[in-house]
Amino acid sequence: MRLVEVIVLISTVLAVALLITVGFEHLVPSERVRPVAEFYLNATYNQYELRNYTAMSPEAVTAIVWDFRGLDTLFETSVFYLALIAGLALTRGLLLERAEKSGHGLSIIVRTVTRITAPMIVAVGASIGLHGHLTPGGGFQGGSVIAVLPMVVIVVFSASFLVIKGVTTTKLLVVRSLGLTGIGLTAIAVFLVGITLHMPAYVFQNMAKPDAQISMPYSVAGALISGTLWFFNIFEMFAVAAGFSIAFIALMLARTLESSRGE
Amino acid sequence: MRRVSRGFIVFILAFTVYVVYTGSISGYDIVTGVIVSAVIGALFSNIVVEKPIKVVDPRRWLHLLVYALLYFTYYEAKAHIDVIRRILHPKLPVNPAIVEAPYRIESDFAITAVANSITNTPGTVVVDIDPSKKNFYIHWISAKTLDPLEARREIFETFEKHAKRIFE
Repeated sequence: MRLVEVIVLISTVLAVALLITVGFEHLVPSERVRPVAEFYLNATYNQYELRNYTAMSPEAVTAIVWDFRGLDTLFETSVFYLALIAGLALTRGLLLERAEKSGHGLSIIVRTVTRITAPMIVAVGASIGLHGHLTPGGGFQGGSVIAVLPMVVIVVFSASFLVIKGVTTTKLLVVRSLGLTGIGLTAIAVFLVGITLHMPAYVFQNMAKPDAQISMPYSVAGALISGTLWFFNIFEMFAVAAGFSIAFIALMLARTLESSRGE
Repeated sequence: MRRVSRGFIVFILAFTVYVVYTGSISGYDIVTGVIVSAVIGALFSNIVVEKPIKVVDPRRWLHLLVYALLYFTYYEAKAHIDVIRRILHPKLPVNPAIVEAPYRIESDFAITAVANSITNTPGTVVVDIDPSKKNFYIHWISAKTLDPLEARREIFETFEKHAKRIFE
């Protein structure tokens, strides 16, 4: 038995070593950029040579996510929304009963530190979201950072503390819906302008195209906003922050109520 | 009015974090930073500080600076040297114990500052706190005494003196 274990262990180690050795050249990124990547890198912020393709954002990932393949991202966000609705539907009976008193939470030291770090978490999240078109990050990342706050509050204080303070799943669902509506409106903004002005325009259009000359402004008062990318990031930030908060509250409140019933 | 001044302190904190995290102060950063921090200040005005006048008192900041300099140079170094000596000593002279020690400060911030000062120096860790009896329970790598008042004097009386000047 002992021998078998040793043999299994050694062969596993050897297999992993072999895999790493064989796959090494694929693990290390080559210096040569593939044609697709080269196109995106050239087009992402290029006002002059590729002006019919550019997204006017120096952050290629955000440009791909919200411009080059924006429709895909819209459906991803919608799927997340539907999953949340389904989750809330599961817990609806539990969430109707409100917990009466807020729990004692962790020690005074942890609570005081949380009081100071709470606004800092939101500031960092907002910075990530608002600079998504300039630096790595974006709406989803910023919203996720903001959603750390309700999670910390739930652990340090309690889930009912949030509800007592007025952060209810209903209100968060309204924020989430407003965020999604904003994303939808941003997607058809240029198209709507085109209809009003009787000019050709596309759904999900950002910068001007050869056959559709309407364009989102890529800068406002000298500050680069990359057209639709800025709006997508902001609305996504609200939608994701509210979405994750709903999930955390629903999970923790349901558990709290279940355990208090059991007593 | 009180809420506005409390919110303003939060605004300053959020704006500082925003700008430092962003790492640039272009017009875009300042405008978005002000808007974001104003919203945060309005939302969190009631949970961060209770008496905003304390935050704008320059004497408290001076005390904080003095304490920070003393703490990070003298007290930290002293505690590190003591623990390094115990680790490298062939006989490993440790005498671990959890001691009870009473504190005599009132505000949440002062208690937190003292507790974190104790925990941050090697050799002592605040493992629990009893606010009703006003006791820290401190794990001590080399308990010199088990008497609460003696332990208090040995471990954190100076921290408490500084914290009182800064936060109370």
